Amino acid sequence: MHLDRIVLRGFRNLRDLDHLLPPEGVVFLGPNAQGKTNFLEAIGYPVLFRALRGATDAEVTGFGGPGFRLEAIFHDGDRSRTAEVTYTAGNRRKRIMLDGAPVARLSEAVGAWVAVAFLPRDVALAGGPATERRQYLDRMLSLASTDYLRALARYRAALAQRNAALRQGQEPLARAFDAPLAAAGSEVTALRLRWVAGAADRFAEGFASLGEHGPTGLSYRTDAALADPAGWADALQRVRNRDLGRGMTTIGPHRDDLVLTVDGRSLRDFGSTGQLRSAAIALRLLELTTIEEARGVPPALLLDDVFAELDSDRQARLADRLLAQRVGQVFVTAPRRDELPAGLQLPIWSVHQGVVTGAA
Amino acid sequence: MRAIEALVTELARLPGIGRKTAQRLTFHLLQQGPEESSRLARALDTVATTVRACAECGYVAEEERCEFCRDARRDAGLICVVEEAASVQAVERSTEFRGRYHVLGGRLSPLDGIGPESLRIDSLLERVRGGGVREVILATNPSMEGEVTATYLHQVLAGEGLRVTRLARGLPMGGDLEYVDGVTLAHALLARQDIVG
Repeated sequence: MHLDRIVLRGFRNLRDLDHLLPPEGVVFLGPNAQGKTNFLEAIGYPVLFRALRGATDAEVTGFGGPGFRLEAIFHDGDRSRTAEVTYTAGNRRKRIMLDGAPVARLSEAVGAWVAVAFLPRDVALAGGPATERRQYLDRMLSLASTDYLRALARYRAALAQRNAALRQGQEPLARAFDAPLAAAGSEVTALRLRWVAGAADRFAEGFASLGEHGPTGLSYRTDAALADPAGWADALQRVRNRDLGRGMTTIGPHRDDLVLTVDGRSLRDFGSTGQLRSAAIALRLLELTTIEEARGVPPALLLDDVFAELDSDRQARLADRLLAQRVGQVFVTAPRRDELPAGLQLPIWSVHQGVVTGAA
Repeated sequence: MRAIEALVTELARLPGIGRKTAQRLTFHLLQQGPEESSRLARALDTVATTVRACAECGYVAEEERCEFCRDARRDAGLICVVEEAASVQAVERSTEFRGRYHVLGGRLSPLDGIGPESLRIDSLLERVRGGGVREVILATNPSMEGEVTATYLHQVLAGEGLRVTRLARGLPMGGDLEYVDGVTLAHALLARQDIVG
């Protein structure tokens, strides 16, 4: 995937811009708090049509502004496409157009443009709570498979209704939502399990490629019965009183976890900072491969200050791994030129007080 | 102007009408002159004062009971349960149904605070227990909440000694198989039928 052109109006602190982007990518160089990451965020926004770092659209809107507009013109293989977003702060309305036509549902536009982001906060993928890893799975598998995206949407809708009934103490009403919960939940669980089965070896390989030692493990913690819709009735029956007591559904893919180990011990509990960082990068490498295999084209890569966090050995290894054999477009931010790996050959643009210069 | 603003606000509260459309309708009425607006106002007033919910089935009626509940030629042993009154018109267009209706007045959605007590479920049970009902056809919408409402009603009606059926889901007439979504196709496959004749 290649982003050919980006148009921004009122996006974060960035001065309004309309830039053509080189097919190989760009390095955005500049001191901190100038807007480098905001530019990267703009490139990543039209993937899920929300901010990479979890900010709201109101926060993405330039300070005190009426809203923002973003237009991304990109190539998916040979096909040229356009994604446009207009957000009006006054009524909090977001309008999304794909190839010039408005989309009725967000899911129709999700994944038309695909980029994988490596962010400094990614260390939480390995060291943070389970919700980080579930979000990782959901984002990646939604972009790789429309079946997953649809099943996930149905699961979340059923779960929200069932939990509302449980909170209201309406047991028979909650029970009526068991069937749609089981149908969608078993699909989500089965697709996650299938991905994990094929990903464990690759995770180990990615982890080792960063110079880490020790046998690693990647497994999915769930009740295996939940991968089959028929397994849900008994499982929900067992926890019915607990669910009623807590006013929420206590089993299902929204409670599962992706468990990472090294030398048989939990990375989250026993991993060093360096190991956690490497494990997080290995997960992102897996995301890249998974999406590329599913879509047939490499996603764009967004690397936010990733190299600065690594020692020079790991830097070089990651750069080799990411850049040597890739044909996809790469966008990198760094505060200084000397923090970039030597092998990185990309045009350099500077970002200063929201102004991007060096653009073609 | 306050009068115009008030009309725009009222129109914009209607389903499917945004503020821009409401403004366009308002200026259209102004352009057409007072007679057009008065006719519309009279029609609205008549509907508001004469139309009510049928005491038996909840459909719209100008008398105590609606046209279907009063029609002795319609089969009182067959009840088609729908979410909203508008669905009655849709089932009528099929011309296949000669029974009577029951309008629930919505569908179960705990998130919106709509539980069984908010729907006309008790009056459905009363009708069923009143005798003479052989079959209840659940014709709620094929959305998740519509399906759940049907499941719930099925549980409630179990043990009442009657047949409870659900509308089949499948392929649209005149459609093209390659444009049918996977879920609909899966349902159509599960509910496939032998060719008769």
